[in-house]
Amino acid sequence: MTKPSEKSEGPVRGASRREFLRTGAVAVGALAGAPGAAQALEFDLESFFQKNFRELSDEEIDDVVKRLSRRYSKQYGAEVSVHATGPMDGVLYGYGLDISRCIGCRRCVYACVDENNQSRDPQIHWIRVLEFEREAIVRGFDLEDGNPYYDHEQVPAADKIYLPVACQHCEESPCTNVCPTGATWREPDGIVVIDYDWCIGCRYCMASCPYGARHFNWTEPSIPAEEINPNMHLLGNRPRTAGVVEKCSFCIQRVRDGRYPACLEACPVGARKFGNLLDSDSEIRTLMRTKRTFVLKAELKTQPKFFYFYG
Amino acid sequence: MEPDPSKQHDYRPPPYQLTTWLLLGAALLLIVFLISLRTKHQPDTSRSYPSRALIADGEAVLLPPPPMNDEFVPCGDCHGAEEVPNPERRKLEEEHDAMKVAHGELWCLQCHDLHNREKLRLADGSLIAFEDSWQLCTQCHGKKLADWRAGVHGKRTGHWRGPKEYQPCVFCHNPHAPRFAPIAPKPPPVRPEQIVLNGSASEARAHDEAE
Repeated sequence: MTKPSEKSEGPVRGASRREFLRTGAVAVGALAGAPGAAQALEFDLESFFQKNFRELSDEEIDDVVKRLSRRYSKQYGAEVSVHATGPMDGVLYGYGLDISRCIGCRRCVYACVDENNQSRDPQIHWIRVLEFEREAIVRGFDLEDGNPYYDHEQVPAADKIYLPVACQHCEESPCTNVCPTGATWREPDGIVVIDYDWCIGCRYCMASCPYGARHFNWTEPSIPAEEINPNMHLLGNRPRTAGVVEKCSFCIQRVRDGRYPACLEACPVGARKFGNLLDSDSEIRTLMRTKRTFVLKAELKTQPKFFYFYG
Repeated sequence: MEPDPSKQHDYRPPPYQLTTWLLLGAALLLIVFLISLRTKHQPDTSRSYPSRALIADGEAVLLPPPPMNDEFVPCGDCHGAEEVPNPERRKLEEEHDAMKVAHGELWCLQCHDLHNREKLRLADGSLIAFEDSWQLCTQCHGKKLADWRAGVHGKRTGHWRGPKEYQPCVFCHNPHAPRFAPIAPKPPPVRPEQIVLNGSASEARAHDEAE
Protein backbone atom coordinates (compact mmCIF):
# COMPACT_ATOMS: atom_id res chain seq x y z
CA MET A 1 0.00 0.00 0.00
CA THR A 2 1.30 3.42 -0.88
CA LYS A 3 1.36 6.26 1.54
CA PRO A 4 -1.71 8.48 1.06
CA SER A 5 0.27 11.66 1.66
CA GLU A 6 2.91 10.84 -0.94
CA LYS A 7 1.66 13.26 -3.58
CA SER A 8 1.41 16.25 -1.28
CA GLU A 9 4.96 15.65 -0.18
CA GLY A 10 6.13 16.10 -3.76
CA PRO A 11 8.03 19.40 -3.55
CA VAL A 12 9.63 18.44 -0.24
CA ARG A 13 10.78 15.15 -1.66
CA GLY A 14 12.08 16.95 -4.71
CA ALA A 15 14.06 19.34 -2.56
CA SER A 16 15.52 16.58 -0.45
CA ARG A 17 16.40 14.61 -3.55
CA ARG A 18 18.27 17.58 -4.95
CA GLU A 19 19.96 17.96 -1.61
CA PHE A 20 20.91 14.31 -1.74
CA LEU A 21 22.25 14.59 -5.28
CA ARG A 22 24.32 17.62 -4.38
CA THR A 23 25.78 15.95 -1.33
CA GLY A 24 26.40 12.80 -3.29
CA ALA A 25 28.13 14.74 -6.03
CA VAL A 26 30.36 16.56 -3.58
CA ALA A 27 31.21 13.25 -1.94
CA VAL A 28 32.07 11.63 -5.28
CA GLY A 29 34.07 14.69 -6.28
CA ALA A 30 35.99 14.62 -3.02
CA LEU A 31 36.72 10.93 -3.57
CA ALA A 32 38.01 11.72 -7.05
CA GLY A 33 40.23 14.33 -5.45
CA ALA A 34 39.20 17.11 -7.84
CA PRO A 35 37.21 19.99 -6.29
CA GLY A 36 36.26 21.30 -9.74
CA ALA A 37 34.81 17.95 -10.72
CA ALA A 38 32.34 18.11 -7.84
CA GLN A 39 30.77 21.26 -9.29
CA ALA A 40 30.58 19.81 -12.79
CA LEU A 41 29.22 16.52 -11.54
CA GLU A 42 26.56 18.24 -9.48
CA PHE A 43 25.22 19.92 -12.59
CA ASP A 44 25.30 16.78 -14.64
CA LEU A 45 23.55 14.73 -11.99
CA GLU A 46 20.81 17.31 -11.59
CA SER A 47 20.27 17.36 -15.35
CA PHE A 48 20.33 13.59 -15.45
CA PHE A 49 17.56 13.21 -12.89
CA GLN A 50 15.56 16.17 -14.18
CA LYS A 51 11.93 15.38 -14.96
CA ASN A 52 10.36 16.07 -18.34
CA PHE A 53 9.64 19.78 -18.72
CA ARG A 54 5.91 19.17 -18.74
CA GLU A 55 6.08 17.42 -15.38
CA LEU A 56 8.13 20.09 -13.66
CA SER A 57 6.43 22.34 -11.12
CA ASP A 58 6.88 26.09 -11.37
CA GLU A 59 9.48 25.99 -8.60
CA GLU A 60 11.38 23.20 -10.27
CA ILE A 61 11.40 25.11 -13.57
CA ASP A 62 12.73 28.08 -11.64
CA ASP A 63 15.52 25.90 -10.24
CA VAL A 64 16.43 24.54 -13.68
CA VAL A 65 16.42 28.00 -15.23
CA LYS A 66 18.71 29.39 -12.50
CA ARG A 67 21.05 26.42 -12.70
CA LEU A 68 21.37 26.72 -16.48
CA SER A 69 21.86 30.50 -16.30
CA ARG A 70 24.74 29.93 -13.89
CA ARG A 71 26.22 27.19 -16.01
CA TYR A 72 26.08 29.06 -19.34
CA SER A 73 27.25 32.34 -17.77
CA LYS A 74 30.32 30.53 -16.54
CA GLN A 75 30.84 28.57 -19.73
CA TYR A 76 30.58 31.56 -22.09
CA GLY A 77 31.76 34.33 -19.77
CA ALA A 78 28.62 36.35 -20.43
CA GLU A 79 25.59 37.45 -18.44
CA VAL A 80 23.34 34.66 -19.71
CA SER A 81 19.71 34.61 -18.66
CA VAL A 82 17.76 31.46 -19.41
CA HIS A 83 14.01 31.78 -19.02
CA ALA A 84 10.99 29.59 -19.55
CA THR A 85 8.32 32.13 -20.50
CA GLY A 86 5.03 30.33 -21.09
CA PRO A 87 2.52 30.78 -23.93
CA MET A 88 0.16 33.77 -24.05
CA ASP A 89 -3.59 33.19 -23.86
CA GLY A 90 -5.50 33.46 -27.12
CA VAL A 91 -2.39 33.27 -29.27
CA LEU A 92 -1.62 30.77 -32.04
CA TYR A 93 1.48 31.71 -33.98
CA GLY A 94 1.51 31.75 -37.74
CA TYR A 95 4.29 32.61 -40.18
CA GLY A 96 3.92 33.97 -43.68
CA LEU A 97 6.56 34.07 -46.39
CA ASP A 98 6.15 35.95 -49.67
CA ILE A 99 7.88 33.77 -52.27
CA SER A 100 7.38 36.45 -54.93
CA ARG A 101 9.70 38.70 -52.90
CA CYS A 102 12.33 36.31 -51.51
CA ILE A 103 15.62 36.79 -53.37
CA GLY A 104 17.49 33.89 -51.75
CA CYS A 105 20.16 36.03 -50.06
CA ARG A 106 20.33 33.77 -46.96
CA ARG A 107 20.38 36.73 -44.56
CA CYS A 108 17.69 34.93 -42.55
CA VAL A 109 19.78 31.77 -42.28
CA TYR A 110 22.69 33.50 -40.59
CA ALA A 111 20.51 35.78 -38.46
CA CYS A 112 18.92 32.57 -37.18
CA VAL A 113 22.31 31.01 -36.44
CA ASP A 114 23.32 34.05 -34.38
CA GLU A 115 20.02 34.41 -32.57
CA ASN A 116 19.55 30.75 -31.76
CA ASN A 117 23.09 29.76 -30.80
CA GLN A 118 23.44 27.19 -33.56
CA SER A 119 26.70 25.30 -33.81
CA ARG A 120 29.19 27.02 -36.12
CA ASP A 121 31.41 23.98 -36.44
CA PRO A 122 30.08 21.50 -37.33
CA GLN A 123 27.65 23.77 -39.05
CA ILE A 124 23.93 23.61 -38.27
CA HIS A 125 21.39 25.76 -40.13
CA TRP A 126 17.76 25.70 -39.08
CA ILE A 127 16.69 27.46 -42.28
CA ARG A 128 17.46 26.00 -45.69
CA VAL A 129 16.84 28.26 -48.66
CA LEU A 130 15.92 26.05 -51.61
CA GLU A 131 16.41 27.25 -55.15
CA PHE A 132 13.93 26.13 -57.81
CA GLU A 133 13.38 26.75 -61.47
CA ARG A 134 10.90 29.55 -61.78
CA GLU A 135 8.31 27.26 -63.33
CA ALA A 136 7.99 25.49 -59.96
CA ILE A 137 5.56 28.22 -59.00
CA VAL A 138 3.17 26.79 -61.59
CA ARG A 139 4.00 23.09 -61.26
CA GLY A 140 4.23 23.11 -57.49
CA PHE A 141 7.26 22.78 -55.27
CA ASP A 142 8.74 19.31 -54.95
CA LEU A 143 11.20 19.72 -52.10
CA GLU A 144 13.40 17.03 -53.65
CA ASP A 145 14.10 19.37 -56.58
CA GLY A 146 15.18 22.25 -54.38
CA ASN A 147 18.87 23.07 -54.31
CA PRO A 148 20.14 24.59 -51.04
CA TYR A 149 23.77 24.76 -52.21
CA TYR A 150 23.42 27.39 -54.96
CA ASP A 151 26.36 29.76 -54.97
CA HIS A 152 25.83 32.65 -57.36
CA GLU A 153 27.73 35.92 -57.44
CA GLN A 154 24.46 37.72 -57.03
CA VAL A 155 20.88 36.77 -56.29
CA PRO A 156 18.19 36.47 -57.43
CA ALA A 157 19.57 34.43 -60.34
CA ALA A 158 17.67 34.58 -63.61
CA ASP A 159 14.63 32.29 -63.86
CA LYS A 160 15.03 31.00 -60.31
CA ILE A 161 12.73 31.17 -57.34
CA TYR A 162 13.62 30.70 -53.70
CA LEU A 163 11.83 28.85 -50.94
CA PRO A 164 13.23 29.09 -47.42
CA VAL A 165 12.21 26.05 -45.38
CA ALA A 166 12.44 25.57 -41.62
CA CYS A 167 10.16 23.91 -39.06
CA GLN A 168 6.56 24.26 -40.23
CA HIS A 169 5.13 23.93 -36.70
CA CYS A 170 2.51 21.43 -37.83
CA GLU A 171 -0.73 21.06 -35.95
CA GLU A 172 -0.62 17.31 -36.66
CA SER A 173 3.13 17.05 -36.17
CA PRO A 174 4.55 13.61 -37.08
CA CYS A 175 7.73 14.36 -35.14
CA THR A 176 5.99 14.68 -31.78
CA ASN A 177 3.97 11.53 -32.44
CA VAL A 178 7.02 9.33 -32.93
CA CYS A 179 9.18 10.63 -30.07
CA PRO A 180 9.64 7.68 -27.70
CA THR A 181 10.50 9.83 -24.66
CA GLY A 182 8.04 12.69 -24.99
CA ALA A 183 10.94 15.06 -25.47
CA THR A 184 9.16 17.04 -28.17
CA TRP A 185 5.62 18.36 -28.17
CA ARG A 186 3.39 21.13 -29.43
CA GLU A 187 2.78 24.02 -27.04
CA PRO A 188 -0.67 25.67 -26.69
CA ASP A 189 0.51 28.61 -28.82
CA GLY A 190 1.42 26.22 -31.65
CA ILE A 191 5.19 26.15 -31.21
CA VAL A 192 6.70 22.67 -31.48
CA VAL A 193 9.44 22.56 -28.85
CA ILE A 194 12.13 20.15 -27.67
CA ASP A 195 13.24 19.36 -24.12
CA TYR A 196 16.94 18.85 -24.84
CA ASP A 197 17.40 17.08 -21.49
CA TRP A 198 14.92 14.41 -22.53
CA CYS A 199 16.04 13.94 -26.13
CA ILE A 200 17.89 10.62 -26.43
CA GLY A 201 19.04 11.28 -29.98
CA CYS A 202 17.18 8.41 -31.63
CA ARG A 203 16.33 10.73 -34.57
CA TYR A 204 12.94 9.16 -35.19
CA CYS A 205 11.58 12.71 -35.38
CA MET A 206 14.04 13.57 -38.13
CA ALA A 207 12.94 10.53 -40.11
CA SER A 208 9.29 11.43 -39.71
CA CYS A 209 9.58 15.13 -40.56
CA PRO A 210 8.42 15.65 -44.16
CA TYR A 211 10.21 19.00 -44.36
CA GLY A 212 13.72 18.05 -43.23
CA ALA A 213 13.45 20.68 -40.56
CA ARG A 214 15.19 18.84 -37.72
CA HIS A 215 18.94 18.73 -37.26
CA PHE A 216 21.14 16.46 -35.21
CA ASN A 217 24.19 17.33 -33.12
CA TRP A 218 26.59 14.60 -34.20
CA THR A 219 29.18 16.06 -31.92
CA GLU A 220 29.51 18.73 -29.25
CA PRO A 221 28.37 21.99 -30.89
CA SER A 222 30.78 24.91 -30.85
CA ILE A 223 29.79 28.55 -30.52
CA PRO A 224 32.41 31.29 -30.04
CA ALA A 225 31.90 32.81 -26.58
CA GLU A 226 31.75 36.33 -28.01
CA GLU A 227 28.95 35.33 -30.38
CA ILE A 228 26.65 33.75 -27.80
CA ASN A 229 23.16 35.17 -27.56
CA PRO A 230 22.62 35.54 -23.80
CA ASN A 231 18.83 35.84 -24.09
CA MET A 232 17.89 32.15 -23.93
CA HIS A 233 14.73 30.11 -23.62
CA LEU A 234 14.80 26.73 -21.92
CA LEU A 235 12.90 25.15 -24.84
CA GLY A 236 14.56 27.17 -27.56
CA ASN A 237 17.97 28.65 -28.17
CA ARG A 238 19.95 27.54 -25.13
CA PRO A 239 23.13 25.74 -26.21
CA ARG A 240 22.55 22.12 -27.08
CA THR A 241 24.80 19.18 -26.42
CA ALA A 242 26.05 16.34 -28.57
CA GLY A 243 23.39 13.75 -29.34
CA VAL A 244 20.28 15.92 -29.33
CA VAL A 245 18.00 17.12 -32.11
CA GLU A 246 17.23 20.79 -32.66
CA LYS A 247 15.10 22.95 -34.97
CA CYS A 248 13.37 26.28 -35.45
CA SER A 249 11.23 27.37 -32.48
CA PHE A 250 9.75 30.53 -34.10
CA CYS A 251 12.35 32.30 -31.90
CA ILE A 252 10.38 31.32 -28.80
CA GLN A 253 12.67 33.51 -26.67
CA ARG A 254 11.57 36.55 -28.70
CA VAL A 255 7.98 35.92 -29.76
CA ARG A 256 6.76 35.07 -26.27
CA ASP A 257 7.98 38.53 -25.28
CA GLY A 258 5.94 39.98 -28.14
CA ARG A 259 8.89 40.49 -30.47
CA TYR A 260 9.24 39.50 -34.11
CA PRO A 261 11.44 36.48 -34.97
CA ALA A 262 15.06 37.23 -35.89
CA CYS A 263 14.75 35.98 -39.48
CA LEU A 264 11.88 38.39 -40.12
CA GLU A 265 13.92 41.36 -38.96
CA ALA A 266 16.91 40.26 -41.03
CA CYS A 267 15.01 39.96 -44.32
CA PRO A 268 16.11 42.80 -46.61
CA VAL A 269 13.03 42.59 -48.85
CA GLY A 270 10.31 42.28 -46.20
CA ALA A 271 9.21 38.85 -47.41
CA ARG A 272 8.63 37.45 -43.92
CA LYS A 273 5.47 38.03 -41.89
CA PHE A 274 4.54 36.85 -38.44
CA GLY A 275 1.60 37.16 -36.10
CA ASN A 276 -1.32 35.71 -34.21
CA LEU A 277 -3.60 33.43 -36.23
CA LEU A 278 -6.42 33.99 -33.71
CA ASP A 279 -6.45 37.75 -34.31
CA SER A 280 -8.39 38.49 -37.49
CA ASP A 281 -6.66 41.87 -37.92
CA SER A 282 -3.14 40.49 -37.63
CA GLU A 283 -0.67 40.66 -40.49
CA ILE A 284 -0.74 36.91 -40.99
CA ARG A 285 -4.54 36.74 -41.12
CA THR A 286 -4.74 39.71 -43.47
CA LEU A 287 -2.37 38.10 -45.93
CA MET A 288 -4.18 34.77 -45.72
CA ARG A 289 -7.37 36.63 -46.59
CA THR A 290 -6.00 38.79 -49.39
CA LYS A 291 -3.17 36.77 -51.00
CA ARG A 292 -2.78 33.40 -52.65
CA THR A 293 -1.58 31.24 -49.81
CA PHE A 294 -0.39 27.64 -49.62
CA VAL A 295 1.39 25.25 -47.29
CA LEU A 296 4.06 22.67 -48.16
CA LYS A 297 2.92 19.09 -48.67
CA ALA A 298 -0.67 19.92 -47.83
CA GLU A 299 -1.64 16.39 -48.91
CA LEU A 300 0.04 14.98 -45.79
CA LYS A 301 -2.48 16.84 -43.63
CA THR A 302 0.17 17.94 -41.21
CA GLN A 303 -1.54 21.36 -41.09
CA PRO A 304 1.56 23.55 -40.96
CA LYS A 305 1.41 26.96 -39.35
CA PHE A 306 3.97 28.24 -41.85
CA PHE A 307 2.24 29.74 -44.87
CA TYR A 308 3.79 30.67 -48.19
CA PHE A 309 2.12 33.30 -50.30
CA TYR A 310 2.61 35.40 -53.39
CA GLY A 311 1.10 38.38 -55.14
CA MET B 1 -79.01 72.51 -34.85
CA GLU B 2 -76.27 75.08 -35.28
CA PRO B 3 -73.25 74.75 -33.06
CA ASP B 4 -72.83 77.41 -30.43
CA PRO B 5 -69.94 79.78 -31.55
CA SER B 6 -69.12 80.75 -27.99
CA LYS B 7 -68.53 77.12 -27.14
CA GLN B 8 -66.00 76.82 -29.98
CA HIS B 9 -64.02 79.76 -28.67
CA ASP B 10 -64.00 78.31 -25.23
CA TYR B 11 -62.37 75.08 -26.39
CA ARG B 12 -59.37 74.10 -24.33
CA PRO B 13 -57.28 70.96 -24.78
CA PRO B 14 -57.88 68.42 -22.06
CA PRO B 15 -55.10 68.49 -19.45
CA TYR B 16 -53.72 65.04 -20.29
CA GLN B 17 -52.99 66.09 -23.89
CA LEU B 18 -51.00 69.11 -22.69
CA THR B 19 -48.89 66.88 -20.44
CA THR B 20 -48.18 64.55 -23.35
CA TRP B 21 -46.90 67.39 -25.52
CA LEU B 22 -44.80 68.77 -22.70
CA LEU B 23 -43.28 65.36 -22.00
CA LEU B 24 -42.56 64.73 -25.69
CA GLY B 25 -40.88 68.11 -26.00
CA ALA B 26 -38.75 67.48 -22.93
CA ALA B 27 -37.74 64.04 -24.26
CA LEU B 28 -36.79 65.58 -27.60
CA LEU B 29 -34.64 68.21 -25.89
CA LEU B 30 -32.97 65.53 -23.81
CA ILE B 31 -32.19 63.43 -26.91
CA VAL B 32 -30.72 66.43 -28.71
CA PHE B 33 -28.65 67.24 -25.65
CA LEU B 34 -27.36 63.68 -25.34
CA ILE B 35 -26.46 63.49 -29.02
CA SER B 36 -24.55 66.77 -28.77
CA LEU B 37 -22.69 65.39 -25.76
CA ARG B 38 -21.76 62.23 -27.65
CA THR B 39 -20.53 63.98 -30.75
CA LYS B 40 -18.27 66.16 -28.63
CA HIS B 41 -16.30 63.09 -27.53
CA GLN B 42 -16.00 61.60 -30.99
CA PRO B 43 -13.15 62.70 -33.24
CA ASP B 44 -14.25 64.90 -36.07
CA THR B 45 -13.56 62.59 -38.98
CA SER B 46 -14.93 64.98 -41.60
CA ARG B 47 -12.29 67.55 -40.83
CA SER B 48 -9.28 65.27 -41.08
CA TYR B 49 -10.39 63.98 -44.48
CA PRO B 50 -8.56 63.39 -46.78
CA SER B 51 -6.18 61.75 -44.34
CA ARG B 52 -2.51 62.38 -45.01
CA ALA B 53 -1.42 60.51 -41.92
CA LEU B 54 0.47 57.38 -42.87
CA ILE B 55 -0.29 55.40 -39.75
CA ALA B 56 -3.22 55.71 -37.38
CA ASP B 57 -1.88 53.21 -34.86
CA GLY B 58 -0.73 54.99 -31.71
CA GLU B 59 2.03 52.55 -30.87
CA ALA B 60 3.71 52.71 -34.26
CA VAL B 61 7.08 54.34 -34.74
CA LEU B 62 7.70 55.61 -38.25
CA LEU B 63 11.37 55.40 -39.09
CA PRO B 64 12.73 58.44 -40.93
CA PRO B 65 13.80 57.78 -44.52
CA PRO B 66 17.43 56.74 -44.82
CA PRO B 67 19.94 59.42 -45.88
CA MET B 68 20.23 60.02 -49.59
CA ASN B 69 22.80 57.82 -51.29
CA ASP B 70 26.22 59.02 -52.35
CA GLU B 71 25.25 59.69 -55.97
CA PHE B 72 22.74 62.24 -54.83
CA VAL B 73 23.66 65.84 -55.48
CA PRO B 74 21.00 68.43 -54.55
CA CYS B 75 19.75 70.20 -57.72
CA GLY B 76 20.25 73.61 -56.11
CA ASP B 77 24.01 73.02 -55.92
CA CYS B 78 24.29 73.73 -59.65
CA HIS B 79 20.99 75.31 -60.69
CA GLY B 80 20.45 78.82 -59.31
CA ALA B 81 17.01 80.15 -58.49
CA GLU B 82 17.25 82.76 -61.28
CA GLU B 83 17.79 80.08 -63.96
CA VAL B 84 14.80 79.60 -66.27
CA PRO B 85 13.93 75.86 -66.20
CA ASN B 86 13.20 73.88 -69.33
CA PRO B 87 10.04 71.78 -68.89
CA GLU B 88 10.62 69.84 -72.14
CA ARG B 89 10.83 66.06 -71.70
CA ARG B 90 14.29 65.11 -72.92
CA LYS B 91 17.21 62.87 -72.29
CA LEU B 92 19.40 64.53 -69.70
CA GLU B 93 23.08 64.54 -70.55
CA GLU B 94 26.43 65.61 -69.21
CA GLU B 95 26.20 65.98 -65.44
CA HIS B 96 23.04 63.89 -65.28
CA ASP B 97 24.62 60.74 -66.74
CA ALA B 98 24.86 59.00 -63.39
CA MET B 99 21.15 59.38 -62.74
CA LYS B 100 19.57 56.15 -63.95
CA VAL B 101 15.81 56.30 -64.00
CA ALA B 102 14.22 52.88 -64.29
CA HIS B 103 10.75 53.57 -63.07
CA GLY B 104 8.22 52.88 -65.78
CA GLU B 105 7.77 55.76 -68.21
CA LEU B 106 8.36 58.41 -65.62
CA TRP B 107 10.70 61.29 -66.00
CA CYS B 108 11.87 63.98 -63.55
CA LEU B 109 8.94 66.38 -63.57
CA GLN B 110 6.29 63.78 -62.81
CA CYS B 111 7.60 63.77 -59.25
CA HIS B 112 9.93 66.77 -58.91
CA ASP B 113 8.64 70.33 -59.05
CA LEU B 114 9.86 72.40 -61.97
CA HIS B 115 10.44 75.57 -59.97
CA ASN B 116 11.09 74.43 -56.43
CA ARG B 117 13.69 71.71 -56.59
CA GLU B 118 13.65 71.14 -52.84
CA LYS B 119 10.08 69.84 -53.11
CA LEU B 120 8.16 67.00 -54.67
CA ARG B 121 4.99 67.67 -56.60
CA LEU B 122 1.77 65.68 -56.23
CA ALA B 123 -0.62 65.17 -59.13
CA ASP B 124 -2.96 67.77 -57.66
CA GLY B 125 -0.19 70.36 -57.84
CA SER B 126 0.55 70.59 -54.14
CA LEU B 127 4.17 70.51 -53.03
CA ILE B 128 5.45 68.15 -50.35
CA ALA B 129 8.77 67.65 -48.59
CA PHE B 130 11.10 64.81 -49.60
CA GLU B 131 10.44 63.21 -46.20
CA ASP B 132 6.76 62.76 -47.16
CA SER B 133 7.57 61.06 -50.46
CA TRP B 134 5.26 58.12 -49.65
CA GLN B 135 2.33 60.41 -50.55
CA LEU B 136 3.76 60.73 -54.02
CA CYS B 137 4.46 57.00 -54.48
CA THR B 138 1.03 55.92 -53.34
CA GLN B 139 -0.74 58.10 -55.89
CA CYS B 140 -0.07 55.25 -58.30
CA HIS B 141 0.67 52.39 -55.90
CA GLY B 142 -2.54 52.57 -53.88
CA LYS B 143 -2.84 48.82 -53.48
CA LYS B 144 0.68 48.67 -52.09
CA LEU B 145 -0.27 51.34 -49.57
CA ALA B 146 -3.25 49.27 -48.44
CA ASP B 147 -1.01 46.21 -48.11
CA TRP B 148 1.65 48.26 -46.35
CA ARG B 149 -0.85 49.63 -43.84
CA ALA B 150 -2.03 46.09 -43.11
CA GLY B 151 1.58 44.97 -42.67
CA VAL B 152 1.53 42.63 -45.66
CA HIS B 153 3.80 44.75 -47.88
CA GLY B 154 7.08 46.11 -46.61
CA LYS B 155 8.98 45.47 -43.46
CA ARG B 156 8.17 46.03 -39.82
CA THR B 157 10.54 45.47 -36.97
CA GLY B 158 10.14 45.43 -33.21
CA HIS B 159 7.14 43.67 -31.72
CA TRP B 160 4.37 41.62 -33.31
CA ARG B 161 2.45 42.55 -30.17
CA GLY B 162 3.61 45.98 -29.03
CA PRO B 163 5.52 48.89 -30.52
CA LYS B 164 6.86 48.37 -34.02
CA GLU B 165 8.91 50.38 -36.43
CA TYR B 166 7.45 51.04 -39.84
CA GLN B 167 9.56 51.74 -42.86
CA PRO B 168 8.16 54.01 -45.56
CA CYS B 169 8.71 53.28 -49.28
CA VAL B 170 12.12 54.89 -49.83
CA PHE B 171 13.59 52.97 -46.92
CA CYS B 172 13.83 49.93 -49.17
CA HIS B 173 13.19 51.21 -52.68
CA ASN B 174 15.29 53.66 -54.65
CA PRO B 175 12.60 55.89 -56.17
CA HIS B 176 14.61 56.28 -59.40
CA ALA B 177 14.91 52.49 -59.80
CA PRO B 178 12.44 50.86 -57.41
CA ARG B 179 13.19 47.25 -58.32
CA PHE B 180 15.66 45.78 -55.84
CA ALA B 181 19.18 45.56 -57.15
CA PRO B 182 20.67 42.03 -56.95
CA ILE B 183 22.90 41.40 -53.94
CA ALA B 184 25.56 38.85 -53.05
CA PRO B 185 24.13 35.90 -51.11
CA LYS B 186 25.62 34.65 -47.85
CA PRO B 187 27.66 31.45 -48.20
CA PRO B 188 25.83 28.20 -48.96
CA PRO B 189 25.56 25.54 -46.27
CA VAL B 190 28.29 22.92 -45.95
CA ARG B 191 27.33 19.68 -47.65
CA PRO B 192 26.84 16.82 -45.19
CA GLU B 193 29.72 14.83 -46.71
CA GLN B 194 32.05 17.79 -46.16
CA ILE B 195 31.28 18.20 -42.48
CA VAL B 196 34.28 17.15 -40.43
CA LEU B 197 33.37 15.83 -37.05
CA ASN B 198 35.74 16.55 -34.24
CA GLY B 199 36.65 14.40 -31.26
CA SER B 200 34.96 11.19 -30.30
CA ALA B 201 32.20 11.18 -32.91
CA SER B 202 34.59 11.09 -35.86
CA GLU B 203 36.72 8.52 -34.09
CA ALA B 204 33.63 6.41 -33.59
CA ARG B 205 32.79 6.71 -37.24
CA ALA B 206 36.34 5.78 -38.25
CA HIS B 207 36.11 2.83 -35.91
CA ASP B 208 32.81 1.75 -37.48
CA GLU B 209 34.27 2.00 -40.95
CA ALA B 210 37.33 0.00 -39.96
CA GLU B 211 35.21 -2.87 -38.70
